[in-house]
Order: sequence, then structure tokens, then C-alpha cells
Amino acid sequence: MNGGTVLPLVGRPDRIQRVATNLIEIAAVSKVYDTSQRGRHVALSEISFDVAEGQFVSILGPSGCGKSTLLYIVGGFVDATSGSVRVSGAPVTGPGPDRGPVFQEFALFPWKTVLGNVMYGPLQQGLSRTQAATRARELLGLVHLTKYESFYPKELSGGMKQRVALARTLAYQPKILLMDEPFGALDALTRKHLQNELLEIWERDRKTVMFVTHSVEEAVFLSDRIFVMTNSPGRIRKVFDVALPRPRVRAELLVDRRYQEMVVAIEKLMDEQEPELS
Amino acid sequence: MSIRRNLVSLIAGALPIMAALFLWYAVCALKLAPASLLPSPVTVFTRLIALAGDTNFLTQAGITLFRLFVGFAIAVVLGVSIGILAAGSRAVATLMQPVVRVLAPVPKIALYPAFVLVLGFDHSSKIALVVADALFPILLATYQGAAAVEPKLVWSARAAGASPAKCLFTIVLTAALPSILTGARIGLIIACIVVFLAEMITSTDGLGQMLVRAARNFQTVDMFEPIITITLLGLLLNAAFNVLSARLLVGFAEQP
Repeated sequence: MNGGTVLPLVGRPDRIQRVATNLIEIAAVSKVYDTSQRGRHVALSEISFDVAEGQFVSILGPSGCGKSTLLYIVGGFVDATSGSVRVSGAPVTGPGPDRGPVFQEFALFPWKTVLGNVMYGPLQQGLSRTQAATRARELLGLVHLTKYESFYPKELSGGMKQRVALARTLAYQPKILLMDEPFGALDALTRKHLQNELLEIWERDRKTVMFVTHSVEEAVFLSDRIFVMTNSPGRIRKVFDVALPRPRVRAELLVDRRYQEMVVAIEKLMDEQEPELS
Repeated sequence: MSIRRNLVSLIAGALPIMAALFLWYAVCALKLAPASLLPSPVTVFTRLIALAGDTNFLTQAGITLFRLFVGFAIAVVLGVSIGILAAGSRAVATLMQPVVRVLAPVPKIALYPAFVLVLGFDHSSKIALVVADALFPILLATYQGAAAVEPKLVWSARAAGASPAKCLFTIVLTAALPSILTGARIGLIIACIVVFLAEMITSTDGLGQMLVRAARNFQTVDMFEPIITITLLGLLLNAAFNVLSARLLVGFAEQP
């Protein structure tokens, strides 16, 4: 997106300085559901961690461990029962254009065309229709969907829908991308393609990303840090720093011992907690 | 392919109607019923064609159509607004739910004498009855449709910078359109029935009143004309509604 305008000489010192600051600060966040039928369910228990600006962070855990809920709390879509989330130092009180979500279900507006969907954010930000259309077309180029701008979402494949959803979110230039199992509904091949594309796009301006997934390979391939969560109550079990070089190429990583060892270590950790599912 | 299929289904759908008309014709031709009580469909349709140029008849049909439209329009505006507001605000929902629960099952036709007493013989009492009857299906369909909208659609819009109110009236309202239109179609059918009924009970004009007057005077041919007219109007309105729905629902999954 604006990656083209950031010159390396200007961008780099800026980035070094930014890495030192924490863009997202999650402090003792808990989420408790009180349901009359099933009683108290602790979805998240005292989660605390920080995310530095420009970091690609994954939250990894079994289904039902509350990892999506944590993402929704950071997004301001769901309130925490206790604890606080700060973004750029200010407490999160609701959704905002600094945090752009991408959902597993795509959540595209079915009545808008591909172009209309991507123009939505820029229009909300006060751009004129012409400006919004220009911005939207740039992003559709970025996700290789230029030819499909007049299509409706229902006419697209799952992979294409998710590309539109990513473009729609990038179009209002959020500082943080909140990705909720974005490739979870896609077939294995499309999933790999989109992971590669996401990394390519991410390399351009290195936005801060919080990425929720239950795929260990996906988390290791994409992230700088991985937070492994446990099941009910959702807690951070262990943090992994992924020191693999970037830009990452899948074929190279697959034969890289460090990649293999990390995948195995995380798989083992997750296997240990499997019995809790029953 | 699809045009051909539409044509085939159209012809298939017309068959039972043709059969009923033929049965009617056969009963008359075989003199199973006296012509003074059950006129032949030939007589009835000949008369209808003659009436198509009759100013008085067209005026009566126009009056009925006017009441139907105004009533239906008010019901749509009220039903959709209240339904959407109730879906968007817990306070409105809490306020409205008991009222709707109490009023929805009331036979509105029972209120008609009261409407006539309060609003008079003219348009207002008929329109009020149409509104009272058509409102609830539209309101309930809107509320349920809006409440069932995928929250992630709303979140996506909110994150892009839209205010909660704007989300409600652009995203939620549009996302609930398939459900709203289903409710509105039921409301439209009810409006057709109710406006006729109201005119039959107490009225000085309109198609329903024409029917009652003809029946009281044993003018059996004239009795059938308003019935066929309101049936044709209903068909036309339904077709117009289908065209409008198809336009509004571009992009949505196919409706069953």
C-alpha cells in the first residue's frame, strides 16, 4: 500500500525506533461467560503480553481456547470481563480504523461488488468516491483481483473472497491487522498461496499483525513470535521467538533444521494438552 | 435455458387455473347451477372487458388501490423502522416486545368498527386497518432478519470507521433485506385481503363495497367483477414486487 512511498533510508531508522515501543499492550485480560444453562465459563484467564510495532505475532491453540476472543477484545468488538488492552498507549474502548480485522468467514458485504467492498473503508475515512476507487483499485492489484472488480462476492472462490477481505481491510490503512484464522476455511493449496501472498504484502510495510491460527506450520512460517495457548481456561502456555531469516521462502524453510525443530517442539507441546479436549 | 424453464413452469402453473375455469364453465354449460346464481365465466369476462372502459368502475378500483398502497407503505416504513431500531437497541426491544406480543395475535378486523367510529367512513379507517394488519409480519421479519445479521459484517464496518447508528441503517438494514422483503411480501398479500374486507364491511366506495352492493341486489355477474379485479391486482402487485426484489437482492444468495 504506502510501502512504495517509504524510502529505505527514511524507513529504517524509523522502524528501529518503533520496534522498541509496544504498540499493543494486553494486561491481565480475562473473559468470563456467565450462562444460565452451562454456568460460568472462563474463556480467557489473565492474559498478558505486549506486541511491538512491526511484529508479526501468532496466537496458536486448540479450538475453543479463546484465541479468537482475545483477538476480538483487541479489536474492540467484544469487551473483556477484566484487564485492559492498550493500543498506541490509549485504552481500547471500541472498534477503530487503526485495527483492521480479517475473518475466517470473510464477512464481505454481499450486496456490494468487489470494488464496492474495498471502497467501503476509504469512503468511511472521508475520501471522495474517485479517490476511494483509486485506492481500492491499487489494492485489488496488490491481491491480483483487478479483473474481478465488478463481481459480487458470491461469484468468487473462497481464496478470492479472502483476498478481497484483506484488500478491504488494508484499504483504510490500519496500523494493526487482526487476522482470525483467515485461511482456515480454504483448501491446503489455496492456503499456501495466500500465506505466501500475505508475507509478500507484509514485507512491503511490515504492519503489526496479530494472527490467530491452529496450524503450527502456518504460525512458524509467518511469525516473529508465537504465543501457544492452553484450553479452558485460555492461558498463554509458552512463547516462541521465531528467529528464521526473512523474506521467507517455503522451500528453503522446509529443509531448515531450525524450522523443523520449532515445528516439532510446538507440536509436542500441543499434543501434551490434547487430553483436555475430552 | 433458464428462460425456457421459466416458460415451462409458467405454463405448468397456469394449468390448474385453466382447469378450475373449465370446471366453472362446465358446471354452467351443463346447467348444474342456475345461471342467475352462477353466471358463466364467458358472461363474467365479457362484462369485465366492458367494465375496463367504465369510468366509475375504474374509479372504484383506483380508490381500493390507493388505500392498499398508502396502508402498505405506512406499514413498511413503520415495520422496518421499529424492527431495525429494536434490533439495534436493547431499550427499544424491551419497550416494544410486550406491545408486539399483545397486539400481534389480536384479530385486527375486530378493531375496524372502532377505526370507523374514530376515523370516519372515508379512506383513513380502511388505511388504518391495512396498516394494523400488514405491520406485524413486516416488523417481525425485519427484527428477526436484523438480529440474525452476521456480527462480523457489522464489526468489519465498525472497524472501517462507521458509527454504530450508521452501521445499523446501512449495513444491518441492507444485510436484513432478504428477510425484510419476505415479510413485506406477506404484508402485501394481507393488505390486498384486508382492504377488500374493510370495504365490504363498511364503506361507501371501493371494490369491496361494489361486491356487497351487487350481492344484495342479486346482480351475480357484477358480484364477480370486483373479485376478479382484486385477484388480477394482486397478481400484478406480486409480479412488480418480484421485479423490485430481484433488483434489491443483487449479490445475495438465491432465494428459495
